[in-house]
Amino acid sequence: MALLQLENVTKRFGGLVAVNDVSLEVEDGESIAIVGSNGSGKTALFNVISGVYLADEGRVVFKGKDITTLPPHTRAPLGIGRTFQIPRPFSSASVRENVAVGAMFGTLSGAISVDESLEVADRYIHLVGLTPHTDKEAGSLTPVEKKLMEIARSLAMRPKLLLMDEALAGMHPRDIDEMVAFLKRIKAEEGIAIIAMVEHIMRAVVGFAERVMVMHQGQKLVDAPTAEALRDPRVVEIYLGRPAEDETHARG
Amino acid sequence: MKAKHTKYLPLLPVSCAYFILFLIGKNVAGMWQLMAMLAFYCALGQAFNIFIGMTGYVDFGYVAFLGVGTYGMALSVSRLAGFPNLGLGVVVIGLILSFVMAGALSVAVGAVALRLRGAYFAIATVGVNEGFRYLIEGARIWGGAEGIIFSGQLTETLGRDTASSLSTFWADVMVMIVAVIAAVITVGYMRGRVGYALTALREDEDAAKVMGINVTKYKIIAFITSASLAGLLGACAWALKVMYVFPPEAFQIQYTIEAIIIVVLGGAGTLLGPVVGGLIYGLSKYWLAVVMPGFQLLIFAPIVIFIVVAFPEGVVGWVKRRAKGTAIQSYLL
Repeated sequence: MALLQLENVTKRFGGLVAVNDVSLEVEDGESIAIVGSNGSGKTALFNVISGVYLADEGRVVFKGKDITTLPPHTRAPLGIGRTFQIPRPFSSASVRENVAVGAMFGTLSGAISVDESLEVADRYIHLVGLTPHTDKEAGSLTPVEKKLMEIARSLAMRPKLLLMDEALAGMHPRDIDEMVAFLKRIKAEEGIAIIAMVEHIMRAVVGFAERVMVMHQGQKLVDAPTAEALRDPRVVEIYLGRPAEDETHARG
Repeated sequence: MKAKHTKYLPLLPVSCAYFILFLIGKNVAGMWQLMAMLAFYCALGQAFNIFIGMTGYVDFGYVAFLGVGTYGMALSVSRLAGFPNLGLGVVVIGLILSFVMAGALSVAVGAVALRLRGAYFAIATVGVNEGFRYLIEGARIWGGAEGIIFSGQLTETLGRDTASSLSTFWADVMVMIVAVIAAVITVGYMRGRVGYALTALREDEDAAKVMGINVTKYKIIAFITSASLAGLLGACAWALKVMYVFPPEAFQIQYTIEAIIIVVLGGAGTLLGPVVGGLIYGLSKYWLAVVMPGFQLLIFAPIVIFIVVAFPEGVVGWVKRRAKGTAIQSYLL
Protein backbone atom coordinates (compact mmCIF):
# COMPACT_ATOMS: atom_id res chain seq x y z
CA MET A 1 0.00 0.00 0.00
CA ALA A 2 1.28 3.38 -0.90
CA LEU A 3 1.98 5.90 1.86
CA LEU A 4 0.15 8.68 0.08
CA GLN A 5 -2.35 8.34 -2.72
CA LEU A 6 -3.86 11.26 -4.57
CA GLU A 7 -6.77 10.17 -6.74
CA ASN A 8 -7.84 12.64 -9.43
CA VAL A 9 -7.47 15.61 -7.11
CA THR A 10 -8.78 18.95 -8.32
CA LYS A 11 -8.66 22.31 -6.55
CA ARG A 12 -10.31 25.38 -8.00
CA PHE A 13 -10.28 29.03 -7.02
CA GLY A 14 -13.28 30.48 -8.81
CA GLY A 15 -12.53 29.95 -12.48
CA LEU A 16 -8.87 29.12 -11.92
CA VAL A 17 -8.03 25.45 -11.73
CA ALA A 18 -4.95 25.39 -9.50
CA VAL A 19 -4.69 21.61 -9.35
CA ASN A 20 -6.27 19.77 -12.25
CA ASP A 21 -7.05 16.08 -11.93
CA VAL A 22 -3.73 15.09 -10.40
CA SER A 23 -3.08 11.52 -9.30
CA LEU A 24 0.05 10.53 -7.47
CA GLU A 25 1.32 7.64 -5.41
CA VAL A 26 4.16 8.00 -2.93
CA GLU A 27 5.77 4.98 -1.33
CA ASP A 28 7.38 4.85 2.09
CA GLY A 29 10.80 6.45 2.12
CA GLU A 30 10.63 7.71 -1.43
CA SER A 31 12.11 11.03 -2.50
CA ILE A 32 10.30 12.95 -5.16
CA ALA A 33 11.09 16.30 -6.68
CA ILE A 34 8.22 18.37 -7.96
CA VAL A 35 9.26 20.88 -10.57
CA GLY A 36 7.27 23.38 -12.54
CA SER A 37 7.16 27.10 -13.17
CA ASN A 38 5.52 29.63 -10.87
CA GLY A 39 1.78 29.16 -10.80
CA SER A 40 1.96 25.59 -12.04
CA GLY A 41 0.08 24.41 -8.95
CA LYS A 42 2.88 22.98 -6.83
CA THR A 43 2.12 24.91 -3.67
CA ALA A 44 -1.61 24.37 -4.13
CA LEU A 45 -0.94 20.64 -4.35
CA PHE A 46 1.05 20.78 -1.10
CA ASN A 47 -1.78 22.66 0.53
CA VAL A 48 -4.28 20.03 -0.57
CA ILE A 49 -2.06 17.29 0.90
CA SER A 50 -1.45 19.10 4.20
CA GLY A 51 -5.06 20.22 4.52
CA VAL A 52 -4.62 23.97 4.23
CA TYR A 53 -6.98 23.68 1.24
CA LEU A 54 -9.61 20.99 0.86
CA ALA A 55 -9.78 19.27 -2.52
CA ASP A 56 -12.88 20.09 -4.58
CA GLU A 57 -12.77 16.74 -6.31
CA GLY A 58 -10.89 13.50 -5.87
CA ARG A 59 -9.53 11.75 -2.82
CA VAL A 60 -6.47 12.10 -0.63
CA VAL A 61 -5.53 8.84 1.09
CA PHE A 62 -2.72 8.65 3.65
CA LYS A 63 -1.62 5.34 5.16
CA GLY A 64 -4.83 3.80 3.84
CA LYS A 65 -7.02 6.39 5.53
CA ASP A 66 -9.17 8.80 3.57
CA ILE A 67 -8.10 12.26 4.78
CA THR A 68 -9.72 14.30 2.00
CA THR A 69 -11.90 16.34 4.35
CA LEU A 70 -9.74 16.35 7.49
CA PRO A 71 -8.55 19.73 8.82
CA PRO A 72 -4.76 20.30 8.85
CA HIS A 73 -4.30 19.91 12.59
CA THR A 74 -5.59 16.35 12.48
CA ARG A 75 -3.52 15.46 9.42
CA ALA A 76 -0.22 16.56 10.92
CA PRO A 77 -0.17 14.00 13.75
CA LEU A 78 -0.86 11.22 11.23
CA GLY A 79 2.60 11.93 9.88
CA ILE A 80 2.46 14.78 7.41
CA GLY A 81 4.99 17.53 8.02
CA ARG A 82 5.68 20.52 5.86
CA THR A 83 7.93 23.49 5.51
CA PHE A 84 7.04 26.74 3.80
CA GLN A 85 8.49 28.52 0.80
CA ILE A 86 9.05 31.63 2.88
CA PRO A 87 9.90 30.32 6.34
CA ARG A 88 7.16 30.89 8.87
CA PRO A 89 8.83 30.73 12.27
CA PHE A 90 6.97 31.56 15.47
CA SER A 91 9.15 34.64 15.64
CA SER A 92 8.92 35.68 19.28
CA ALA A 93 9.61 32.17 20.52
CA SER A 94 13.09 30.70 20.77
CA VAL A 95 14.42 28.17 18.29
CA ARG A 96 14.07 25.54 20.99
CA GLU A 97 10.43 26.42 21.64
CA ASN A 98 9.66 26.44 17.92
CA VAL A 99 11.00 22.95 17.43
CA ALA A 100 9.36 21.76 20.66
CA VAL A 101 5.97 22.77 19.23
CA GLY A 102 6.50 20.21 16.49
CA ALA A 103 7.31 17.48 19.00
CA MET A 104 4.42 18.46 21.27
CA PHE A 105 1.56 18.68 18.79
CA GLY A 106 2.78 16.99 15.64
CA THR A 107 2.96 13.45 16.93
CA LEU A 108 0.14 10.98 17.39
CA SER A 109 1.13 10.13 20.94
CA GLY A 110 -0.34 13.38 22.25
CA ALA A 111 0.84 12.69 25.78
CA ILE A 112 4.39 13.94 25.30
CA SER A 113 5.15 16.50 28.01
CA VAL A 114 6.66 19.95 27.62
CA ASP A 115 9.99 18.86 29.11
CA GLU A 116 10.20 15.81 26.87
CA SER A 117 9.36 17.95 23.85
CA LEU A 118 12.18 20.32 24.71
CA GLU A 119 14.58 17.39 24.87
CA VAL A 120 13.37 16.10 21.51
CA ALA A 121 13.78 19.64 20.18
CA ASP A 122 17.43 19.74 21.28
CA ARG A 123 18.08 16.54 19.36
CA TYR A 124 16.67 17.86 16.09
CA ILE A 125 18.28 21.25 16.53
CA HIS A 126 21.57 19.42 16.83
CA LEU A 127 20.73 17.37 13.74
CA VAL A 128 20.33 20.47 11.57
CA GLY A 129 23.34 22.13 13.18
CA LEU A 130 21.58 25.00 14.93
CA THR A 131 22.69 24.13 18.46
CA PRO A 132 24.54 27.46 18.97
CA HIS A 133 21.29 29.29 18.20
CA THR A 134 19.03 27.20 20.47
CA ASP A 135 17.98 30.05 22.75
CA LYS A 136 17.82 32.76 20.11
CA GLU A 137 14.52 34.23 19.05
CA ALA A 138 13.49 32.48 15.84
CA GLY A 139 12.73 35.82 14.23
CA SER A 140 16.35 36.89 14.53
CA LEU A 141 17.77 34.00 12.49
CA THR A 142 19.11 34.42 8.96
CA PRO A 143 16.87 33.13 6.15
CA VAL A 144 18.92 29.96 5.72
CA GLU A 145 18.89 29.31 9.48
CA LYS A 146 15.13 29.81 9.47
CA LYS A 147 14.83 27.15 6.79
CA LEU A 148 16.93 24.76 8.83
CA MET A 149 14.83 25.54 11.89
CA GLU A 150 11.66 24.77 9.95
CA ILE A 151 13.13 21.47 8.87
CA ALA A 152 14.03 20.64 12.47
CA ARG A 153 10.54 21.70 13.55
CA SER A 154 8.84 19.43 11.05
CA LEU A 155 11.23 16.54 11.72
CA ALA A 156 10.37 16.79 15.41
CA MET A 157 6.84 15.88 14.37
CA ARG A 158 8.24 12.47 13.38
CA PRO A 159 6.54 12.63 9.98
CA LYS A 160 6.24 9.74 7.54
CA LEU A 161 5.94 12.25 4.75
CA LEU A 162 7.72 15.57 4.62
CA LEU A 163 6.58 18.23 2.17
CA MET A 164 9.29 20.76 1.51
CA ASP A 165 8.23 23.91 -0.26
CA GLU A 166 11.23 25.41 -2.06
CA ALA A 167 13.62 24.28 0.61
CA LEU A 168 16.63 25.25 -1.46
CA ALA A 169 15.59 28.55 -3.02
CA GLY A 170 18.01 31.36 -2.36
CA MET A 171 20.75 29.10 -1.05
CA HIS A 172 24.40 29.19 -1.95
CA PRO A 173 25.38 26.22 -4.21
CA ARG A 174 27.68 24.90 -1.51
CA ASP A 175 24.83 24.99 0.99
CA ILE A 176 22.59 23.25 -1.52
CA ASP A 177 24.99 20.33 -1.81
CA GLU A 178 25.17 20.15 1.96
CA MET A 179 21.42 20.29 2.27
CA VAL A 180 20.93 17.55 -0.33
CA ALA A 181 23.38 15.32 1.51
CA PHE A 182 21.61 16.12 4.75
CA LEU A 183 18.17 15.33 3.36
CA LYS A 184 19.37 12.02 2.01
CA ARG A 185 20.83 11.16 5.37
CA ILE A 186 17.75 11.97 7.45
CA LYS A 187 15.54 10.29 4.91
CA ALA A 188 17.47 7.08 5.48
CA GLU A 189 17.76 7.54 9.24
CA GLU A 190 14.19 8.57 9.94
CA GLY A 191 12.64 6.44 7.21
CA ILE A 192 10.49 9.22 5.79
CA ALA A 193 9.30 10.00 2.32
CA ILE A 194 10.10 13.49 1.10
CA ILE A 195 8.36 15.44 -1.59
CA ALA A 196 10.38 18.54 -2.30
CA MET A 197 9.59 21.36 -4.63
CA VAL A 198 12.74 22.29 -6.36
CA GLU A 199 12.72 25.12 -8.78
CA HIS A 200 15.47 25.68 -11.33
CA ILE A 201 18.12 23.87 -9.34
CA MET A 202 18.92 20.88 -11.48
CA ARG A 203 21.90 19.75 -9.49
CA ALA A 204 19.63 19.39 -6.46
CA VAL A 205 17.03 17.49 -8.43
CA VAL A 206 19.65 15.09 -9.77
CA GLY A 207 21.32 14.74 -6.40
CA PHE A 208 18.21 14.30 -4.33
CA ALA A 209 15.28 12.82 -6.16
CA GLU A 210 14.58 9.29 -7.18
CA ARG A 211 11.56 10.43 -9.08
CA VAL A 212 10.57 13.69 -10.70
CA MET A 213 7.07 14.99 -11.16
CA VAL A 214 6.60 17.91 -13.49
CA MET A 215 3.59 20.15 -13.06
CA HIS A 216 2.33 22.50 -15.71
CA GLN A 217 -0.79 24.66 -15.48
CA GLY A 218 -2.18 22.59 -12.65
CA GLN A 219 -1.68 19.26 -14.36
CA LYS A 220 0.79 16.50 -13.88
CA LEU A 221 2.82 16.52 -17.07
CA VAL A 222 5.51 13.96 -16.32
CA ASP A 223 6.03 11.50 -13.49
CA ALA A 224 9.07 9.33 -14.03
CA PRO A 225 12.44 8.28 -12.56
CA THR A 226 14.78 11.25 -12.45
CA ALA A 227 17.10 10.41 -15.34
CA GLU A 228 14.22 9.59 -17.63
CA ALA A 229 12.22 12.66 -16.65
CA LEU A 230 15.09 15.02 -17.33
CA ARG A 231 15.47 13.66 -20.84
CA ASP A 232 11.79 14.14 -21.59
CA PRO A 233 11.48 16.79 -24.33
CA ARG A 234 8.43 18.33 -22.61
CA VAL A 235 10.47 18.88 -19.47
CA VAL A 236 13.29 20.39 -21.45
CA GLU A 237 10.84 22.68 -23.14
CA ILE A 238 9.24 23.90 -19.93
CA TYR A 239 12.52 24.29 -18.16
CA LEU A 240 14.90 25.52 -20.77
CA GLY A 241 12.54 26.86 -23.38
CA ARG A 242 12.11 25.46 -26.86
CA PRO A 243 15.30 24.33 -28.62
CA ALA A 244 16.84 27.12 -30.69
CA GLU A 245 16.14 25.60 -34.11
CA ASP A 246 12.44 25.34 -33.27
CA GLU A 247 12.46 28.98 -32.36
CA THR A 248 13.89 30.03 -35.74
CA HIS A 249 11.59 27.60 -37.42
CA ALA A 250 8.61 29.14 -35.80
CA ARG A 251 9.66 32.61 -36.80
CA GLY A 252 10.70 31.65 -40.32
CA MET B 1 14.50 19.37 37.18
CA LYS B 2 15.80 22.89 37.42
CA ALA B 3 12.91 24.08 35.29
CA LYS B 4 10.43 22.63 37.78
CA HIS B 5 11.82 24.64 40.66
CA THR B 6 12.01 27.94 38.87
CA LYS B 7 8.74 27.55 37.02
CA TYR B 8 6.67 29.54 39.50
CA LEU B 9 9.33 32.10 40.53
CA PRO B 10 7.80 34.81 38.32
CA LEU B 11 4.74 34.71 40.57
CA LEU B 12 6.82 36.30 43.31
CA PRO B 13 6.94 39.87 41.97
CA VAL B 14 3.25 39.70 41.00
CA SER B 15 2.10 38.52 44.43
CA CYS B 16 4.40 41.07 46.07
CA ALA B 17 2.79 43.87 44.06
CA TYR B 18 -0.67 42.98 45.37
CA PHE B 19 0.60 42.47 48.89
CA ILE B 20 2.21 45.90 48.88
CA LEU B 21 -1.01 47.46 47.58
CA PHE B 22 -2.84 45.69 50.39
CA LEU B 23 -0.39 46.83 53.07
CA ILE B 24 -0.41 50.46 51.95
CA GLY B 25 -4.17 50.48 51.77
CA LYS B 26 -4.56 48.91 55.17
CA ASN B 27 -2.01 50.99 57.01
CA VAL B 28 -2.05 54.41 55.43
CA ALA B 29 -5.20 56.31 56.22
CA GLY B 30 -7.32 57.25 53.24
CA MET B 31 -5.37 55.12 50.78
CA TRP B 32 -7.61 52.05 50.62
CA GLN B 33 -9.83 53.27 47.80
CA LEU B 34 -6.87 54.22 45.62
CA MET B 35 -5.10 50.91 46.28
CA ALA B 36 -8.32 49.04 45.54
CA MET B 37 -8.67 50.89 42.25
CA LEU B 38 -5.08 50.07 41.31
CA ALA B 39 -5.60 46.41 42.22
CA PHE B 40 -8.75 46.35 40.08
CA TYR B 41 -6.93 47.75 37.05
CA CYS B 42 -4.06 45.28 37.50
CA ALA B 43 -6.46 42.38 37.91
CA LEU B 44 -8.51 43.47 34.91
CA GLY B 45 -5.34 43.60 32.83
CA GLN B 46 -4.26 40.18 34.04
CA ALA B 47 -7.56 38.52 33.24
CA PHE B 48 -7.75 40.19 29.84
CA ASN B 49 -4.12 39.39 29.06
CA ILE B 50 -4.81 35.65 29.16
CA PHE B 51 -6.83 36.13 26.00
CA ILE B 52 -5.62 39.29 24.24
CA GLY B 53 -1.97 38.91 25.21
CA MET B 54 -1.57 35.22 24.61
CA THR B 55 -3.63 34.88 21.43
CA GLY B 56 -3.10 38.31 19.88
CA TYR B 57 -6.85 38.60 19.31
CA VAL B 58 -8.61 41.78 20.42
CA ASP B 59 -11.99 41.36 22.06
CA PHE B 60 -13.95 44.62 22.12
CA GLY B 61 -16.82 42.96 23.92
CA TYR B 62 -14.76 41.98 26.93
CA VAL B 63 -16.59 44.13 29.44
CA ALA B 64 -19.74 42.09 28.77
CA PHE B 65 -18.16 39.30 30.82
CA LEU B 66 -17.64 41.64 33.76
CA GLY B 67 -21.19 42.83 33.31
CA VAL B 68 -22.61 39.33 33.30
CA GLY B 69 -20.50 38.50 36.36
CA THR B 70 -21.95 41.53 38.11
CA TYR B 71 -25.42 40.20 37.37
CA GLY B 72 -24.45 36.76 38.67
CA MET B 73 -23.71 38.20 42.10
CA ALA B 74 -26.71 40.54 42.04
CA LEU B 75 -29.08 37.72 41.13
CA SER B 76 -27.73 35.43 43.80
CA VAL B 77 -28.01 38.01 46.58
CA SER B 78 -31.38 39.39 45.54
CA ARG B 79 -33.13 36.09 44.72
CA LEU B 80 -31.75 34.03 47.58
CA ALA B 81 -32.27 36.68 50.27
CA GLY B 82 -35.44 35.00 51.53
CA PHE B 83 -33.81 31.62 52.25
CA PRO B 84 -32.87 31.12 55.89
CA ASN B 85 -29.40 30.07 57.10
CA LEU B 86 -27.62 30.85 53.85
CA GLY B 87 -25.62 33.73 55.30
CA LEU B 88 -22.37 34.22 53.40
CA GLY B 89 -23.46 31.34 51.21
CA VAL B 90 -25.26 33.87 48.97
CA VAL B 91 -21.90 35.46 48.22
CA VAL B 92 -20.28 32.11 47.50
CA ILE B 93 -23.17 31.11 45.24
CA GLY B 94 -22.93 34.55 43.65
CA LEU B 95 -19.25 34.01 42.85
CA ILE B 96 -19.95 30.59 41.37
CA LEU B 97 -22.85 31.99 39.36
CA SER B 98 -20.74 34.88 38.06
CA PHE B 99 -17.97 32.51 37.06
CA VAL B 100 -20.34 30.12 35.31
CA MET B 101 -22.45 32.80 33.60
CA ALA B 102 -19.43 34.62 32.21
CA GLY B 103 -17.95 31.31 31.14
CA ALA B 104 -21.18 30.26 29.43
CA LEU B 105 -21.45 33.57 27.57
CA SER B 106 -17.85 33.20 26.42
CA VAL B 107 -18.56 29.70 25.08
CA ALA B 108 -21.52 31.03 23.13
CA VAL B 109 -19.60 34.03 21.76
CA GLY B 110 -16.34 32.16 21.25
CA ALA B 111 -17.82 29.19 19.42
CA VAL B 112 -19.03 31.56 16.72
CA ALA B 113 -16.62 34.49 16.75
CA LEU B 114 -13.35 32.62 17.30
CA ARG B 115 -13.71 30.96 13.92
CA LEU B 116 -13.07 34.42 12.51
CA ARG B 117 -9.58 35.80 12.25
CA GLY B 118 -7.91 38.89 13.64
CA ALA B 119 -9.78 42.04 12.70
CA TYR B 120 -12.95 40.14 11.79
CA PHE B 121 -13.06 38.71 15.26
CA ALA B 122 -12.58 42.15 16.80
CA ILE B 123 -15.47 43.54 14.73
CA ALA B 124 -17.72 40.62 15.60
CA THR B 125 -17.18 41.21 19.31
CA VAL B 126 -17.98 44.94 19.26
CA GLY B 127 -21.67 44.13 19.17
CA VAL B 128 -21.68 41.59 22.01
CA ASN B 129 -21.54 44.23 24.66
CA GLU B 130 -24.29 46.48 23.40
CA GLY B 131 -26.35 43.50 22.29
CA PHE B 132 -26.36 42.03 25.76
CA ARG B 133 -27.15 45.33 27.40
CA TYR B 134 -30.14 45.96 25.14
CA LEU B 135 -31.28 42.38 25.55
CA ILE B 136 -31.48 42.90 29.30
CA GLU B 137 -33.13 46.30 28.98
CA GLY B 138 -35.45 45.45 26.11
CA ALA B 139 -36.55 42.01 27.23
CA ARG B 140 -36.89 43.32 30.80
CA ILE B 141 -34.99 40.37 32.23
CA TRP B 142 -33.05 40.70 35.48
CA GLY B 143 -34.72 43.96 36.36
CA GLY B 144 -34.49 45.39 32.84
CA ALA B 145 -33.32 48.98 32.50
CA GLU B 146 -33.76 49.64 36.21
CA GLY B 147 -31.13 47.07 37.12
CA ILE B 148 -31.01 45.34 40.47
CA ILE B 149 -30.44 47.13 43.74
CA PHE B 150 -29.58 44.56 46.38
CA SER B 151 -28.03 46.52 49.24
CA GLY B 152 -31.22 45.92 51.25
CA GLN B 153 -31.17 42.15 50.77
CA LEU B 154 -27.45 41.93 51.49
CA THR B 155 -27.85 43.83 54.77
CA GLU B 156 -30.88 41.72 55.63
CA THR B 157 -29.04 38.45 55.00
CA LEU B 158 -25.70 39.27 56.55
CA GLY B 159 -26.37 42.05 58.99
CA ARG B 160 -25.27 45.66 58.63
CA ASP B 161 -21.66 45.24 59.80
CA THR B 162 -20.80 42.23 57.65
CA ALA B 163 -22.48 43.71 54.60
CA SER B 164 -20.62 46.95 55.03
CA SER B 165 -17.20 45.35 55.57
CA LEU B 166 -17.91 43.09 52.62
CA SER B 167 -18.50 46.04 50.36
CA THR B 168 -15.81 48.38 51.66
CA PHE B 169 -13.02 45.88 52.38
CA TRP B 170 -13.51 42.24 51.41
CA ALA B 171 -14.74 42.97 47.90
CA ASP B 172 -11.38 44.61 47.18
CA VAL B 173 -9.41 41.85 48.88
CA MET B 174 -11.27 39.33 46.73
CA VAL B 175 -10.23 41.28 43.64
CA MET B 176 -6.62 40.84 44.72
CA ILE B 177 -7.16 37.13 45.28
CA VAL B 178 -8.72 36.75 41.83
CA ALA B 179 -5.71 38.60 40.42
CA VAL B 180 -3.28 36.18 42.05
CA ILE B 181 -5.35 33.23 40.78
CA ALA B 182 -5.19 34.76 37.30
CA ALA B 183 -1.41 35.01 37.65
CA VAL B 184 -1.08 31.36 38.69
CA ILE B 185 -3.21 30.29 35.71
CA THR B 186 -1.17 32.52 33.39
CA VAL B 187 2.10 30.93 34.48
CA GLY B 188 0.60 27.45 34.17
CA TYR B 189 -0.56 28.22 30.66
CA MET B 190 2.62 29.96 29.58
CA ARG B 191 4.86 27.15 30.74
CA GLY B 192 2.58 24.39 29.48
CA ARG B 193 1.15 23.03 26.24
CA VAL B 194 -1.50 25.76 26.13
CA GLY B 195 1.15 28.46 26.10
CA TYR B 196 3.12 26.82 23.31
CA ALA B 197 -0.04 26.40 21.24
CA LEU B 198 -1.10 30.01 21.85
CA THR B 199 2.33 31.44 21.04
CA ALA B 200 2.37 29.45 17.82
CA LEU B 201 -1.08 30.55 16.73
CA ARG B 202 -0.43 34.15 17.72
CA GLU B 203 2.67 34.25 15.54
CA ASP B 204 1.36 32.29 12.56
CA GLU B 205 -2.00 30.61 12.62
CA ASP B 206 -1.55 28.64 9.38
CA ALA B 207 1.85 27.32 10.38
CA ALA B 208 0.40 26.38 13.78
CA LYS B 209 -2.35 24.37 12.09
CA VAL B 210 -0.02 22.31 9.94
CA MET B 211 2.09 21.65 13.03
CA GLY B 212 -0.92 19.81 14.45
CA ILE B 213 -2.36 22.52 16.68
CA ASN B 214 -6.14 22.72 16.95
CA VAL B 215 -6.12 26.50 16.97
CA THR B 216 -9.84 26.97 17.61
CA LYS B 217 -9.66 24.76 20.68
CA TYR B 218 -6.78 26.68 22.23
CA LYS B 219 -8.29 30.07 21.43
CA ILE B 220 -11.50 28.98 23.14
CA ILE B 221 -9.58 27.74 26.20
CA ALA B 222 -7.91 31.15 26.57
CA PHE B 223 -11.18 32.95 25.88
CA ILE B 224 -13.21 31.02 28.48
CA THR B 225 -10.49 31.36 31.12
CA SER B 226 -10.17 35.07 30.56
CA ALA B 227 -13.94 35.58 30.53
CA SER B 228 -14.65 33.53 33.66
CA LEU B 229 -12.05 35.50 35.60
CA ALA B 230 -13.68 38.69 34.33
CA GLY B 231 -16.98 37.39 35.68
CA LEU B 232 -15.44 37.02 39.12
CA LEU B 233 -13.97 40.52 38.92
CA GLY B 234 -17.38 41.92 38.01
CA ALA B 235 -18.94 40.11 40.96
CA CYS B 236 -16.37 41.43 43.43
CA ALA B 237 -15.27 44.83 42.19
CA TRP B 238 -18.62 45.98 40.85
CA ALA B 239 -21.55 44.09 42.36
CA LEU B 240 -20.37 43.62 45.94
CA LYS B 241 -18.71 47.00 46.11
CA VAL B 242 -21.69 49.17 45.17
CA MET B 243 -24.44 46.64 45.91
CA TYR B 244 -26.41 47.36 42.78
CA VAL B 245 -26.14 46.67 39.09
CA PHE B 246 -27.34 48.98 36.39
CA PRO B 247 -27.06 47.96 32.69
CA PRO B 248 -25.44 51.12 31.26
CA GLU B 249 -22.71 50.92 33.92
CA ALA B 250 -22.15 47.18 33.77
CA PHE B 251 -21.68 47.19 30.00
CA GLN B 252 -19.58 50.31 29.55
CA ILE B 253 -17.18 49.78 26.66
CA GLN B 254 -14.75 52.19 28.32
CA TYR B 255 -13.50 49.36 30.53
CA THR B 256 -12.59 47.26 27.52
CA ILE B 257 -10.55 50.15 26.17
CA GLU B 258 -8.87 50.62 29.55
CA ALA B 259 -8.05 46.91 29.70
CA ILE B 260 -6.48 47.05 26.24
CA ILE B 261 -4.38 50.09 27.23
CA ILE B 262 -3.22 48.38 30.42
CA VAL B 263 -2.17 45.20 28.64
CA VAL B 264 -0.40 47.01 25.81
CA LEU B 265 1.34 49.47 28.15
CA GLY B 266 2.67 46.77 30.43
CA GLY B 267 3.49 44.19 27.80
CA ALA B 268 1.01 41.89 26.09
CA GLY B 269 1.58 38.22 26.66
CA THR B 270 3.85 38.74 29.67
CA LEU B 271 2.90 37.81 33.22
CA LEU B 272 4.05 40.96 34.98
CA GLY B 273 3.00 43.30 32.17
CA PRO B 274 -0.64 43.81 33.16
CA VAL B 275 0.39 44.56 36.74
CA VAL B 276 2.88 47.20 35.65
CA GLY B 277 0.40 48.52 33.08
CA GLY B 278 -2.38 48.62 35.66
CA LEU B 279 -0.23 50.55 38.10
CA ILE B 280 0.95 53.06 35.48
CA TYR B 281 -2.54 53.52 34.11
CA GLY B 282 -4.31 53.67 37.46
CA LEU B 283 -1.82 56.05 39.04
CA SER B 284 -1.67 58.43 36.09
CA LYS B 285 -5.44 58.44 35.77
CA TYR B 286 -5.76 59.27 39.46
CA TRP B 287 -3.01 61.87 39.41
CA LEU B 288 -4.36 63.58 36.27
CA ALA B 289 -7.83 63.66 37.81
CA VAL B 290 -6.35 65.55 40.75
CA VAL B 291 -4.08 68.00 38.93
CA MET B 292 -6.13 68.56 35.79
CA PRO B 293 -9.68 67.41 36.38
CA GLY B 294 -11.57 66.97 33.12
CA PHE B 295 -8.47 66.81 30.99
CA GLN B 296 -7.35 63.28 31.91
CA LEU B 297 -8.06 61.69 28.55
CA LEU B 298 -6.57 64.56 26.58
CA ILE B 299 -3.33 64.29 28.51
CA PHE B 300 -3.37 60.55 28.74
CA ALA B 301 -3.68 59.92 25.02
CA PRO B 302 -0.23 61.32 24.10
CA ILE B 303 1.35 59.50 27.05
CA VAL B 304 -0.07 56.23 25.79
CA ILE B 305 1.06 56.99 22.25
CA PHE B 306 4.54 57.80 23.51
CA ILE B 307 4.86 54.58 25.47
CA VAL B 308 3.51 52.48 22.62
CA VAL B 309 5.99 54.06 20.21
CA ALA B 310 8.95 53.93 22.61
CA PHE B 311 8.20 50.44 23.97
CA PRO B 312 6.18 48.58 21.36
CA GLU B 313 6.47 45.37 23.35
CA GLY B 314 5.31 47.09 26.53
CA VAL B 315 7.35 48.11 29.54
CA VAL B 316 7.83 44.56 30.80
CA GLY B 317 8.55 43.23 27.31
CA TRP B 318 11.30 45.82 27.03
CA VAL B 319 12.76 45.05 30.45
CA LYS B 320 12.57 41.32 29.74
CA ARG B 321 14.66 41.73 26.62
CA ARG B 322 17.23 43.75 28.55
CA ALA B 323 17.28 41.28 31.43
CA LYS B 324 18.04 38.27 29.27
CA GLY B 325 20.90 36.32 30.77
CA THR B 326 20.91 38.24 34.07
CA ALA B 327 19.90 37.04 37.50
CA ILE B 328 16.45 38.62 37.45
CA GLN B 329 15.50 36.78 34.28
CA SER B 330 13.92 33.90 36.16
CA TYR B 331 11.60 36.32 37.98
CA LEU B 332 10.34 37.89 34.78
CA LEU B 333 7.81 36.24 32.56
